[in-house]
Amino acid sequence: MKNTETISPQVCKIIHIPEKPSFLPHLQPTVNVLAAVIEPKDANTLVRKLNQIAPLENLRHVKRVLKKCIDGGKPQLSLLLCMAVENDGEVDHMPSEILELVKSYQLSTFITQVCKYAATSKEEWDEQCKLWPTSYHPPTYNISGITGFSEEESQSVFGFMRHTINLATSVGQVVNAAVIVDPSTKQVIASACDQVISSASLANEVSKEGSCSNYLENLKASNLENHQTSLLDSSVGEFKHITINVACVHPWRWALQSSGCGCPLRHAAIVAIEYSAARDLQLFPDHKTLSPLKRQKIESDFHSYQSLRPYLCTGYDIYLAWEPCAMCAMALVHQRVRRIFFSFPNPNAGALGSVHRLQGERSLNHHYAVFRVMLPEEVFRNKIAEAKISGSG
Amino acid sequence: MASYAKETFEFMKLALEQAKDALVNLEVPVGCVIVEDAEVIASGRNRTTETRNATRHAEMEAIDFLVEQWQKNGLSALEVSERFSKCILYVTCEPCIMCAAALSYLGIKEVYYGCGNDKFGGCGSILSLHTSCPELPSSELASSKKGFKCTGGIMASEAVSLLRSFYEQGNPNAPKPHRPLKPQV
Repeated sequence: MKNTETISPQVCKIIHIPEKPSFLPHLQPTVNVLAAVIEPKDANTLVRKLNQIAPLENLRHVKRVLKKCIDGGKPQLSLLLCMAVENDGEVDHMPSEILELVKSYQLSTFITQVCKYAATSKEEWDEQCKLWPTSYHPPTYNISGITGFSEEESQSVFGFMRHTINLATSVGQVVNAAVIVDPSTKQVIASACDQVISSASLANEVSKEGSCSNYLENLKASNLENHQTSLLDSSVGEFKHITINVACVHPWRWALQSSGCGCPLRHAAIVAIEYSAARDLQLFPDHKTLSPLKRQKIESDFHSYQSLRPYLCTGYDIYLAWEPCAMCAMALVHQRVRRIFFSFPNPNAGALGSVHRLQGERSLNHHYAVFRVMLPEEVFRNKIAEAKISGSG
Repeated sequence: MASYAKETFEFMKLALEQAKDALVNLEVPVGCVIVEDAEVIASGRNRTTETRNATRHAEMEAIDFLVEQWQKNGLSALEVSERFSKCILYVTCEPCIMCAAALSYLGIKEVYYGCGNDKFGGCGSILSLHTSCPELPSSELASSKKGFKCTGGIMASEAVSLLRSFYEQGNPNAPKPHRPLKPQV
């Protein structure tokens, strides 16, 4: 799988950011269970009985039977009986039905460990099975990319991300940029930059000096292992200075701009959603507002009209230079975006893994897949240098 | 309940009027008013259907109206921020995560809401975006996370019954369900 290779800053990468923080394969949480060695001939009967009297409600990923080959190639079967009572291996503490089973088959029980959560990757699964066998189901929810991208898809993703970074650095300062794309046609539906800072303020706030190198060090440091936390350390100094106008990174800062007022909530993603909604209205006007003739035509062709018209941003992807804040991440839930790609984590206010993790909030009525896109550092070095030159000129 | 000022209910009634207006227009019935110095200075209701923009919640409508007004009047960013810090929002349903974040960014003073929002709520139900982080040094306060006081349960049953009547008539804009809908309880 792509997302387990080591990251070199020279190479483009797409990293899936899952619903829950992932554990290092060898550090997965475990729980104690009660097990016993059984005669192979009894296995079927015992498993059937156990599934009735003690189903593994919270351990559905754990298999009942562990098969080992002991000396001489003879297989030895161990059977998982039930969850172990905390700090207690005493036989008389197991449920009475299991106790009966233990007595009638003369089993000698022992406590062992199994992994608490189902594996989310092949690597986790391999590690789990060293303790006790589990089953592994690769993600089944149907969002393409979670299980990897084809070469063609990857190139398309990198292309759109480059475009997004160009946009984020095209206004004389580094801001956030958002590009909504229909991946089925590779068409840009809408794009926008932050509109929080008024243009007059921007001109006044242009950085006097700044070394890209610290920033690039930070980018380099943000590899796979610590991509959720590395930039926490770098929220000081140059990095902070460069991101100072990125609305999602500093959403409380709008009030400090020196001139004009700007629009405090016009973050790039919010504006892009507004543009895509306006486009939808223009392409597929409300029946009510059409002339009777046109309305008739559309209604006679109602089915193709309905199938053409997207419901909000269903099926669309959005590219963002920075991980969105809670306001923008929730706006993208509301607008039913299918996938979010961003380049830089947002340790201040990011809502897709840094501070909050909206993709893991199961109560929400829509879930998108989230990916971080790593581009070679040259892309940023050039773009940030350009932004600085044009900004100070 | 009795401990709330009479005006709390008066303002919530106005928010409910906004929600009813949304219902009449086939929008999800949530409404709000923003009050400064005991005076309503903005109101809003859901417009997600009309705009095809699912972020056009009542709060966003009212906030955008105010920002636009204040911009026209030539207020500076700092002045806009000072005005918001005197504003109280009355909204019929707990602000969602998006709106709660927005209210925190603006530094609103206080929020009263009707019913809770156990699927999307950003003021305690799913996330708690209204709480501040008091440990920050005061020099950072102007540009850092702001909390606001938040009180729920004001005329909640009225707010819920509006939402119920909307969902009983069905959301005409939702995509066709993949499974048959569960019968109403």
